[in-house]
Amino acid sequence: MKLTTTLEDVQAAASRCLRDGRCTYGPWPENHPLCPIYWHDPSFTFSGGGYLFLILALLDNRINFDQSIANFAFSCASCIACDNNCSVIRCHEPYVDILDIIRLLRSEAVKRGFVPGGIAKKIYDEVKKTGGYGQASSLKLPDKIKNDKADTIFFAECSHTSAQKDISRAAVRLLEKIGSPVSQFSESGCCGSTLYDFGFWEQLEPLVKANWEKMKPLKDMKFVFINPHCQEFIHKRYPEILPNFSGIHHQHISQLLAGAFKDGRLKSIKAEKVKVSYHDPCYLGRGLNIYDAPRDVLASLSGVELVEMARNRENSFCCGARVAGNYVPNLSDDTARERIKEFEGTGTDLLITACAYCKDHFQKVMPAKDRGRVKDLAEFVDERT
Amino acid sequence: MTAKPKGDKREAACRELRERIGAEKVRDDEITLVTYGRIRQGFDTMWPFRKPSLVVFPEAREDVVETLKIANRYKFPVTSVGTAPIMLGTTEGGIILDQRRRNRIIEINTDSGYAVIEPGVSFDGLTSALRGTGFKCSVGTMPGPGTILGQALGRGSQSFTTRYLNVIVDLEVVLPDGTVYSTGSSHFKNVGSHLRYGPYPDLAGLYTCAYGAMGVITKAAIRIHPVNEASRIHFAGFDNYSDALDYVKDLIDNNIPEHTFIWNWHMYLTWPLAPSDLEAVMPQVLKSDIRKPPEGTPYNLVSSLLSGYKEQVEVYEKVCAKVAQKYHGRVFSDEEIEKRFPATMAGFRQQYGDYHYRESVHWSKGRFAGWYVFAEPKDMKEIEKFAVNEFVKFGKGINPVNYYSHPFDFGRSILLRISGFPDPTDIELRKKISKKFDEMYDVALKKYRAIPIRPIGSDRAGTYMDVLRRIKKALDPNNILNRDAGLFEEGEL
Repeated sequence: MKLTTTLEDVQAAASRCLRDGRCTYGPWPENHPLCPIYWHDPSFTFSGGGYLFLILALLDNRINFDQSIANFAFSCASCIACDNNCSVIRCHEPYVDILDIIRLLRSEAVKRGFVPGGIAKKIYDEVKKTGGYGQASSLKLPDKIKNDKADTIFFAECSHTSAQKDISRAAVRLLEKIGSPVSQFSESGCCGSTLYDFGFWEQLEPLVKANWEKMKPLKDMKFVFINPHCQEFIHKRYPEILPNFSGIHHQHISQLLAGAFKDGRLKSIKAEKVKVSYHDPCYLGRGLNIYDAPRDVLASLSGVELVEMARNRENSFCCGARVAGNYVPNLSDDTARERIKEFEGTGTDLLITACAYCKDHFQKVMPAKDRGRVKDLAEFVDERT
Repeated sequence: MTAKPKGDKREAACRELRERIGAEKVRDDEITLVTYGRIRQGFDTMWPFRKPSLVVFPEAREDVVETLKIANRYKFPVTSVGTAPIMLGTTEGGIILDQRRRNRIIEINTDSGYAVIEPGVSFDGLTSALRGTGFKCSVGTMPGPGTILGQALGRGSQSFTTRYLNVIVDLEVVLPDGTVYSTGSSHFKNVGSHLRYGPYPDLAGLYTCAYGAMGVITKAAIRIHPVNEASRIHFAGFDNYSDALDYVKDLIDNNIPEHTFIWNWHMYLTWPLAPSDLEAVMPQVLKSDIRKPPEGTPYNLVSSLLSGYKEQVEVYEKVCAKVAQKYHGRVFSDEEIEKRFPATMAGFRQQYGDYHYRESVHWSKGRFAGWYVFAEPKDMKEIEKFAVNEFVKFGKGINPVNYYSHPFDFGRSILLRISGFPDPTDIELRKKISKKFDEMYDVALKKYRAIPIRPIGSDRAGTYMDVLRRIKKALDPNNILNRDAGLFEEGEL
């Protein structure tokens, strides 16, 4: 969505909502509940359509913009399930998805000075103070593979989560095992996905522009991402935000690993039997349509048996990490617990995911003794190769 | 309209409700209230904004009973709603009873052929549950997430309505004073829901097309039907509606199709469109005159679901071909439909093959403006011409002009449902269309003896409405139930 879009611009599209709840659950015949806020507290209000109706009510002066609207807007988990299941809204000008419209609502809230407490406020304050977002990852590529002229660029610039550092290190070790030369995009900074998602749009544009200036000379190279949020944002949103963006070649680490197994550059050496479930992260799956590569990687590991959870692939259930509002108490953690319950139902030993937010959040709600059962794909592969 | 309940009364009722049924089932936050304030046909600025005082989400029948008892005591208006677009008006300051959390399928009885469901069960929910049971339920033109009961109580058009007037066998009803009763055989202890009425009068009919004004339904038994050994859809094309209707009547009179629908060409081309097909098909339809299909595109396509034993279906196909020829029609093979109208075929395959809905974007064209009437077959032939010509006068801005028509009750009465898709933001045009529709209903009634599907004002229904008013007053003396919801005009009681 263009950052200049206004609530008035989406009014006609939002008014097409049929109020039928299609945005809340997956395809027939399974009809799995997928929207976290609706699953938690089923009502029309707590659905994609509810957000659209709220915007229409705001435009119709039926409700005043206040802090509660910000809390509500940030309570959506941003999991893209609504857009995967409702095709009505995007068929109309300005041809945007429901989640984009919710982000627009967040940006309106932020513009008016309403930011929910907690993680959103923390990030907002950091952005206001520093003009940017993202801590230095302090990640150094080993000399063995580091080559500034390499045609593969490792994108692991920021480290917003504690899991990200471990995942980055595991990914670097894997790159070393594969042995192909790589360069690093940057040692600090941010792609801007969090600022976009949280509606901090005023601060977003300069950051994105600066990133693109750095990327432009490298656009014919292949960018390898470990965080699907970064990859999805650059691939899908940069073109909407930057008129002169011309696209980059991009690959998720799972795709790189799948290729490396296939052509023999990476070999499974640990054969201990283990049963795993794979959690499709929302932005890797629904965002980027990457479902097979992580499964191919797991299938390449000796002794590993994948047992799917009932909700998988495009019908995966969110981890709840991106719920940053508190309109529905405990929504974020309850969402993660629901997913953990589904994982436990498979009877498997490990829960593998491919996103730092998911790993962090699952571990947060698990008893300390069980936290080691959640691993990122890169870490898991690193242990067994 | 009755005055909005005062704040202190509202707070007392809210407090009491929370105590009786649980705070988590009662919402009165501003965001919830405004998002339920204009649910008629979506957030449609053509209709008044009526913010409720509370939205209640019952999870058990007792929650409904308690809500009604409290509302009745405080004389609080209650509007019962399901999911999907509704035709109901809500009441300013009232309680909205949203039964979406009551979505259990209580029983699937394949011996007798009924399913007992809670009001929140959607078509998607029941059609999924029926897979593998050898049974199917009637499906219609609502979206899959729509609640079955919402459509059934409005006597909506569904597949088996070719044979039956509606799908309901038995209803469990809660009255404003908290009385609970069942309208059919299940009212007797340990008896299932196999019989709609007897030995007493058929009270289920009192709640059909009553739009919640006579009681709140908390459970329903609906018909389900066996999936036969063989089934297939037979297609025949016709150059005019009159021939298509004669064909359909002939088939029904000879007990051939399980159900049969006449679709006009705008509808059969656009109804099942997926987003990927939208650009390819819709532009041509949008600029066309509904009366003049392109060369080789039949004005009407008749789909007939044939089912039974394999041998029986083979004979039925031959009969359909013979009868189509008799009425100047042409049989279309599956291959031809697939090749020429692929989206159409995909829609029919899903609806009649899987017995569930094609998830289309048909309705996304905008809020439709629909005109619906029932008439005897010979009158309907004239009505079709009349309605199509009136729709053409609205201009191509309301294309596609979609209609379907099919027999109810073995062809005693024929339904025509015709709709256009005006720009939802063009309120002036939509008001003009709405006014015109009222005039058309008048003409249809006086000139063509056609009955509208929805209430059109008590002045035209005379003693029928008098009797209904008397019943309403007896069952709901405080007039709390769906008082602005369509059966009675606003504030008329």
